Amino acid sequence: MTTLITKTITKICVPLVILFSISLLLAGHNNPGGGFIGGVMFASIIGLLYVVFGLEYIKTFFNPDWANWFAFGLLLSSITAFGAIFFGHNFFRSAVEFVHLPFIGEIELVSAGLFDIGVYFVVIGGLLFIFKNVGDDR
Amino acid sequence: MDPFNAITLAIFLPFIVAGLIPAAEKILKHYVGWLAAATALISFLLIATVLPLVIHDGPISYAVPWLSSVGIDFSLYIDGLSILIGFLASGIGVLIMAYSNGYMSHKEDLPRYYMWLLLFMGSMVGMVFSANTILLFIFWELTSITSYMLIGYWRDKPESIYGATKSLIITAAGGLVMLAGFLFLHSITGTFDIPTILQNEALIQTVKDHNLFLITLVLIFIGAAAKSAQGPFYIWLPNAMEAPTPVSAFLHSATMVKAGIYLVGRMHPIFSGTEAWFILVSGTGMITMVMAGFMAFRQTDIKGILAYSTISQLAYIMTMYGYTTQHHPGIGVTAATFHLLNHATFKACLFLVAGIIAHEVATRDIRKMGGLRREMPITFIIAVIGALSMAGIPPLNGFLSKEMFYESSVEMGAALGSPYTILIPVIAIMGGVFTFAYSIKLIDGIFLGKRPKKGLPKHIHDPGIIMLIPAAFLAFLVILFGLVPSIPVHYIVEPTASGILLEPVHLHVKLWHGITTPLIMTIVTFILGILVYSKYDAIAAWQDRFNARHPRISVNYHYDAAVDNAKTYAHKISSVTQPGTIKTYINAVLILIVTLVCIPIILLGADVIPQTLNFNIAPYEALLMLLMIVAGIAIVVLPGYLPAIIALSALGYMVGLLFIYLKAPDLALTQVLVETLSTIIFFLAIAKIPQKFKEKIPTTTLIRDVIISVAIASTVFIMLVNATQGIVSPFESLSHYFIENSLTLAGGHNIVNVIIVDFRGYDTLGEISVLCLAALGVYNLIHSRSEEK
Repeated sequence: MTTLITKTITKICVPLVILFSISLLLAGHNNPGGGFIGGVMFASIIGLLYVVFGLEYIKTFFNPDWANWFAFGLLLSSITAFGAIFFGHNFFRSAVEFVHLPFIGEIELVSAGLFDIGVYFVVIGGLLFIFKNVGDDR
Repeated sequence: MDPFNAITLAIFLPFIVAGLIPAAEKILKHYVGWLAAATALISFLLIATVLPLVIHDGPISYAVPWLSSVGIDFSLYIDGLSILIGFLASGIGVLIMAYSNGYMSHKEDLPRYYMWLLLFMGSMVGMVFSANTILLFIFWELTSITSYMLIGYWRDKPESIYGATKSLIITAAGGLVMLAGFLFLHSITGTFDIPTILQNEALIQTVKDHNLFLITLVLIFIGAAAKSAQGPFYIWLPNAMEAPTPVSAFLHSATMVKAGIYLVGRMHPIFSGTEAWFILVSGTGMITMVMAGFMAFRQTDIKGILAYSTISQLAYIMTMYGYTTQHHPGIGVTAATFHLLNHATFKACLFLVAGIIAHEVATRDIRKMGGLRREMPITFIIAVIGALSMAGIPPLNGFLSKEMFYESSVEMGAALGSPYTILIPVIAIMGGVFTFAYSIKLIDGIFLGKRPKKGLPKHIHDPGIIMLIPAAFLAFLVILFGLVPSIPVHYIVEPTASGILLEPVHLHVKLWHGITTPLIMTIVTFILGILVYSKYDAIAAWQDRFNARHPRISVNYHYDAAVDNAKTYAHKISSVTQPGTIKTYINAVLILIVTLVCIPIILLGADVIPQTLNFNIAPYEALLMLLMIVAGIAIVVLPGYLPAIIALSALGYMVGLLFIYLKAPDLALTQVLVETLSTIIFFLAIAKIPQKFKEKIPTTTLIRDVIISVAIASTVFIMLVNATQGIVSPFESLSHYFIENSLTLAGGHNIVNVIIVDFRGYDTLGEISVLCLAALGVYNLIHSRSEEK
């Protein structure tokens, strides 16, 4: 699989796919997408990176502890879920706010979006953690 | 401070500080124990601020709503009894945590030690101030758990683990029985709140007349007896002595074992004045008192002697709480309360002495000791004060409360009439005689006589001041309470007794009150005690012989047998339910699905079989489906993992393609990505296993698998057809709700996403937690395997 063609294509694809995954994550509330799909997208491109260049080589310059990613994601989601309690609402009540920003226009801030970001991190962290451990096993 | 806030803080401060201990240890190093001791001191002072109010105005109760819909509130009941045990827990906690600074080596895992000690103390204080039985139960089990962690503190010693497990099994199981009792009490009275019952005489009378009275009493008493090591439940306490000695002094002499006594005291107004109460509580108490006192003779470990002595002394208190008649429900309550306090002082003192000896002499075997009075004069004096108080020698506090014990025994005997007039005092004297004998043995065996030539370190000396002061302070209290009994009586015993009896109690305790029956009984006890002591070793030897000849006459024997059997049977059952091959699990799940779906289909009969089907299938869709069928067959027939996986992922991608035709871009995207990832993971996994199917599948297995797969396929088909063709629709479709509300309630246009993160956010939270756990599970599977290599 480590032909020049796949290597070159992968190199080009990585930033594009990561950006696409982030756009999927942020677009999720109103258009197709969301935290889960964005996370899987991110995980698959990093997976491709691992497969094409080899885990050992990638580890020399890019070696995050994916466990931290899913731990952070779970924490973020839980805080969002419990957060509503501290504002006197029911568990998991979400808040919607429309904000006007200069040059960008109207932006919709949803607390469920934060929750979705947590999902995003859990999916990335969990999948790549499994991926790396299964692949790393010698 | 407001009493409610003071007590709430006294309960939760230890919990908070316990959480901070590991961080504090980084700064304070081995001085972290002083932080724990200071916390205990603050709790003690907070409880002390409430005492004057209780003496002045009587019991106080407060409640903060918690789970009010089911009658469970965070409610506190502050009266003399709870303050007494609260004082013991926090006050002795201060001494123990200070003493531990000298006892525990700096190399030990100190944060863990002090953290559990503080958690225990907080649970104990919380338990005694709980007004709600459910709250009480929660704290009760917390004390069991913390005790478990402390007994098993030295994790690499099998004896510690055995002792810890034993205590947890017995006390926690007792707690569950007690919970059942509380539920019965709730079904009789309709409330979990103890003060509500105590303050309502009609309600108490209802309890006493109720059909469920006896079962409620027995269940609650079993919980108390298990905790206080009474009756057959005593067996955990001697094994609990594997804990570090300060822990034994704290939990297993002064505080946790008093929890059962506390419960008996708390329930006293509800249940006492009945025959059942006397037979159960006093009967258990008297038998335990005599038996445990007698069995102490055999012990060679000084902590073992103290353990049996603790069981026996707790039984004194239990017996006294049990003394009751219809007209005079609380004959022994004041005596019991006073003994409760006195026992905590002299027994904790003796345990601290045992700790000093174990620390300095490096053994706890009394046979190897002797003549240590010259080398450890201060320890000797402290030990003599503690032991003589336990033996009941005037003018120490043990003498006073034992006189009161005899007095109440005589009174109870007289109330019951012949033959109990003689019997009960005689049993009381027997308990006293054994106590006297082993108390003397402690002094004689350790400090008097000649120093053995072998087996002891050359230089033995008194310990440092850190370990001496707590023990000396307790010895001081022993003398103080003995000489000036009015102080503890006025400030502690009277409020406590009135808390139990629910009426003001005035008590006058004097050292000398003429030649009375109790005094004569005391003198008889001393004479018999000296006689028994002269035969001490002979009795111990006889007990050893008896035990060797009849190993089955022992509660421990049956406990061990039960635990072993439980392990064997659990293993047998789990080897059936958890065979470990993935195939079996998958079959079980599939069969369950088929069964669960079949039940409604069979019940509804022919209605679910569609009469006319309306499939609008475009030609390209049909082609795609045909390819999918080919791929599905290929998965099964291809002769190797690699081709099978490729066929599987081909099937997956075609499903993704189908989703695109069906105008579901979300699903298609997800399907393709997940398929890609899972294919890669499959490839990584099969790199580790043989590339060909080596095993030959037997025909019977093949037939079974075919039947299961056909069944599950038909089931899924029927479900899908019903879902899409609407043949059975007893329920309205949910999608209308989401379509209408996703924008208004959650502010999103993408309904699928809104469902995931908002309407069904709880599910998603559960799913991502599962994903995290699965990731950790994969990690463990892989790494546990590589460690085995």
